[in-house]
Amino acid sequence: MSGRVLEAGLHLLDRQLVDADGRLAGKVDDLELEFPEGGGPPVVTAILAGPGALSRRIGGRAGAWLEAVANRLRDGDDRRPARVSFGVVKRIESAVDLSVPKADLETNRLEAWTRDHLIGHLPGAGDAPE
Amino acid sequence: MRLSDLLGADVVDQAGRRAGHVHDVRLVQDGPLVGAFGASLRLDGLLVGRRGIGARLGYNRRKMHGPLLVKLAVGWLFHDGRYVDWDRVRSVEEDRILISGSVDDLGQPSPSS
Repeated sequence: MSGRVLEAGLHLLDRQLVDADGRLAGKVDDLELEFPEGGGPPVVTAILAGPGALSRRIGGRAGAWLEAVANRLRDGDDRRPARVSFGVVKRIESAVDLSVPKADLETNRLEAWTRDHLIGHLPGAGDAPE
Repeated sequence: MRLSDLLGADVVDQAGRRAGHVHDVRLVQDGPLVGAFGASLRLDGLLVGRRGIGARLGYNRRKMHGPLLVKLAVGWLFHDGRYVDWDRVRSVEEDRILISGSVDDLGQPSPSS
């Protein structure tokens, strides 16, 4: 084997995503794999993150509740979890470093919603330093 | 396909014999190029075993540094770990993965690091 060898559950799942500015951007909750067009074994094409992805790993009623939360944040009926294309992964070490800022990521939805609909309405919320 | 479709799935040969559950999957970074990451991670095979406990702790990897008694106990617990090369996978169904050949000719996983 010429390339680096990883075990997905051990080295990737539950790892912290860190954006280009060093900010925390979610966790690796699942991986998306696709069969390449020219044939051959599947390759990892994206990291899936957030409640929509985690709900499938948890299962049961807790998972169903999480999935409902994820769907609440989505426009329309699209049931995709937040997807981070592997094209923006820079490096996998103890965390997964990304080459883009978190604002560019779908994983930002939950945090943005929470900020806008919950935290933003608290007195003094506008005074918080960045 | 998602990783979660594979993890925990029952691995069965065409005679219906069970090899165990998927504990983890091995990825090798030699697939088609993808962005700044370089070669993408190709699914090489499945790490399969009967016992579910502790596999995620990493104790079933060969090069474990630890107290001798722990290593011996855990070595015994995971001695039946098997490796399924991806090219032996015939189909991935809900909670079940069908492989070609017999579970008896599955080898042990080579050390990953």
